[in-house]
Amino acid sequence: MNDLRSSEADLKHALLRIEPQTPFAEVMAERTRGELLSLDARSVTPGAEPRLQGAVFRAWGGSRWVEAATSSLDAVALGVAVQSIQRELGHRTGPSKVPGESATTVGEWSTDSAHPMRSLGSEEVLKLARDVLGWATAVPGIRDARVQLGWADNERLYLNTAGARCYQNLNRVRGSVAPIAIENGKVEFDYLSEGGLGGREQLNFLTEARVHEIAGNAKELLHAKSPPTGTMTVLLDPGVAGLFAHESFGHGTEADQFVRDRSYLKPLVGQVVGPDYLTLVDNGAHPTGWGSIYYDDEGHPGQRTELIRKGQFVGALHDRETAAAMHTHATGNTRRADFLSRAFVRMTNTYVEPCDWSFEELVAEAKDGVILEHGTSGIEDPQGGQMQFKVKKGHRIEHGKVTDLVASMALSGSVLSFLRSIRGIGDKKGFEISPGYCGKGHSDLLTSGTGGAYLLSSAIVGPA
Amino acid sequence: MTVPTGSSDTASRVAERIKLVEPWEVFAESIRRFEIHLNGREIELERGPISIEGYGIRLFRTKNGRTETGFQASTDLSEEGIRTVVGDAEAVSKHSDFPAKRVDLPSQAPRSSGDLEIVDHHLWERPSESLRDHVHALLAAFDGKRDVLPSFGSIRATLTDTSFANSAGLRYSYPQTSVDFEIAVKAFGGPEGKAPGEYWVNDSTRRLETSRVTVDVDQWCTYARDVRRAVPPPTGDLPVVLPPDLLSTILPSVIGYRFSGAARLRHFAPEPGSELGAPQLTIRDDGRFPWGVSSSPVDDEGVPHGRRTLLEHGKAKDLLYDVLSAGAFDESATGSALRGLTLGHRDWIRFSSPPGTGSTTLVVDSGDGGSDLELVESAKDGVWVQQLGWAIPDPLSGAFGGEIRIGYRIRNGKLAEPVRGGTMGGVVMAPPGSPSLLRGVAGIGSTATLSDALCSPTLLVRNLTVAGA
Repeated sequence: MNDLRSSEADLKHALLRIEPQTPFAEVMAERTRGELLSLDARSVTPGAEPRLQGAVFRAWGGSRWVEAATSSLDAVALGVAVQSIQRELGHRTGPSKVPGESATTVGEWSTDSAHPMRSLGSEEVLKLARDVLGWATAVPGIRDARVQLGWADNERLYLNTAGARCYQNLNRVRGSVAPIAIENGKVEFDYLSEGGLGGREQLNFLTEARVHEIAGNAKELLHAKSPPTGTMTVLLDPGVAGLFAHESFGHGTEADQFVRDRSYLKPLVGQVVGPDYLTLVDNGAHPTGWGSIYYDDEGHPGQRTELIRKGQFVGALHDRETAAAMHTHATGNTRRADFLSRAFVRMTNTYVEPCDWSFEELVAEAKDGVILEHGTSGIEDPQGGQMQFKVKKGHRIEHGKVTDLVASMALSGSVLSFLRSIRGIGDKKGFEISPGYCGKGHSDLLTSGTGGAYLLSSAIVGPA
Repeated sequence: MTVPTGSSDTASRVAERIKLVEPWEVFAESIRRFEIHLNGREIELERGPISIEGYGIRLFRTKNGRTETGFQASTDLSEEGIRTVVGDAEAVSKHSDFPAKRVDLPSQAPRSSGDLEIVDHHLWERPSESLRDHVHALLAAFDGKRDVLPSFGSIRATLTDTSFANSAGLRYSYPQTSVDFEIAVKAFGGPEGKAPGEYWVNDSTRRLETSRVTVDVDQWCTYARDVRRAVPPPTGDLPVVLPPDLLSTILPSVIGYRFSGAARLRHFAPEPGSELGAPQLTIRDDGRFPWGVSSSPVDDEGVPHGRRTLLEHGKAKDLLYDVLSAGAFDESATGSALRGLTLGHRDWIRFSSPPGTGSTTLVVDSGDGGSDLELVESAKDGVWVQQLGWAIPDPLSGAFGGEIRIGYRIRNGKLAEPVRGGTMGGVVMAPPGSPSLLRGVAGIGSTATLSDALCSPTLLVRNLTVAGA
């Protein structure tokens, strides 16, 4: 398969055919490749990431956008998509001014790694996976584990009628292991999962010591106590703090929700919402973040945007339309899940910046409560300002000490109350950006990084 | 009106270019998608046709009682593209290993799909117009409601021709339609100055049911208004009433996985006859359920769909097998191969994934608990949970739970004030002697309703943990 740039002439030609009927048109073409290896004690399933390719056209139709997409990049298929756009544009009337500022960015970026996964070879990936499985099952009581190692190269070429031309090749790498413990019909597991932009170095976290530790935790979870229930002091681990940053706060800062009057945060711009040591950002320009992008899908460069600066809610995430509606600039957050999906305001890597509390200081400050560890999922509530996320496990804090292991929990409560109740943020020792997938609502899953440092506050805790 | 028949030859076209000695299969889709996105009462964006044609090729090599498999997918239908895909699949197969002693690919085309209700014919013939008509009816249902509007949402209609070809001689295709619906209904205004309330609906169906729109919108508006006056639920282990809409987000992913050959292979599946649920509870898997979102003449390996009883009077019975897991246990494939499962939901594009094993439509037999109000009466003092924020459970441990987005307190056997916030959760199925949702079922409603991949009556469960005020 050739480089996506080999289709550039056909894409340009297609765009030129639309141009006479609209003040603005754009095309985003995409191509993917990669590998994913799944391994457990009973089977080895190496897979190849699907070789998908295609293009989506978007044109301003006078009062709203029209779009068409095709899964082929040959001139005939592009022509069919163009005809569909032309047909729709022919039916549209209304104000011709395109909302917002059209990007004119020109550039090319590819992920830089000394050890790109595509040149690693399947045998080496399989050997690492077998090592990880062996480390996990060497722990007494662990008979199985699920190991996944994968990489995906995502090429995107963006062109528009204002002159933008952005080519990027993003190389994402991800690994995970979930040791599984079974006893008398009860099944439990724990997991390690990390990833980001780069190459083989993204898998260096898979060490024998860490896998042993997580396998031991899986076994202990079989006998973990039930979590406490009710409102209490909670200490979120860095990954769970990232879930909070993303699900509970970040989604409410996607400015399309402001424009449609569906964000509880809209009236709070400029107000103090947390302690002065709280800073929360979305950073698409993080050099190795799982959710990083060099350009968004409107041709704006990925960038760092502060959402909360020293406790004050200062910003939101914008595409061209929301920026126009709110008299500001696009922030490089327009993203399509793929060439088949629509463009929305989306997050990239969203995290709580570290502060200066040690873990021990935070536990002592908590006195009594629960630590929430290893987040598994979360969901936004941009209108209601409530939060929900789930974790695989936790530990009780009693009299300023970490005590019993407890099983999976859900956390709930008001986001604003949670922010106001923050009593400490950990140092950068535990800071990490975790790989994940984010939906806008229940659709359009795309890569999204979340992260942070230990975060001490209070909320409602219950079983999950 | 013409009735669509499976007319896609994508799989056959790809198959013509495969020259292999080992068994192989091609699963292909030719898809058109149309979307309308809403902002308030306005259409924000119309998309379509979004056209995609693609295929996945899987190869099998069985030797010494084990099987190597290789899979790759692509949208490139050129001769070179197909050759590359076969090369990828062969390359990855060399490192694979699965304990299937044999691979029995289906060779016979199934009986006609004509009697199976999986195609919305109006939608198939006039997709853009049908979708627009439906959206206009939906927006019209909000007319006159000054305190409620749809703030965010989309309706996405997908028209798919699915085709199969394999080395055993199967050549088959069938059409299907699906509709993914998401809408956030916002209640606002009023003199009391309360914060707006929202009810967020997500649903997948086979058809545009425009005649239901007015009733549905009225119900959603009631929930959205009730959110505004809701209070936190109590804390404790309480009787909980769970309607089909909520159960559809909890049961399929756990039961579909734990009752599978894949789970049996890893020692997670229940032993036949083991007591997992209340004695009055019977659950089946029905791949031909009318308008079921996973219903089709065949599964995603081309094996005819049928009906299996998973739980009978509370005891485990059948398991679900795809071709590979069946080959590991000398069982027959049950038509339970599913592609494109993500977080318990089926993606609208399936050709890009190899199949796994799962349930199609889970059918919970109706009971003698009567109407919803009679179940509430039986609960006496508890909570009706209408919606959790993100209920989707962990299929391995069976743990589920989440924030209560909207529910109702049950006092003295009657629905009382709305509740919101806090959490509700537990474990779907657990070993004998341990509490679980299935074991705690104390009442089964008399009327079942299809919701996504589940057809179930409302259930009364005694007790689940609620964490609130």
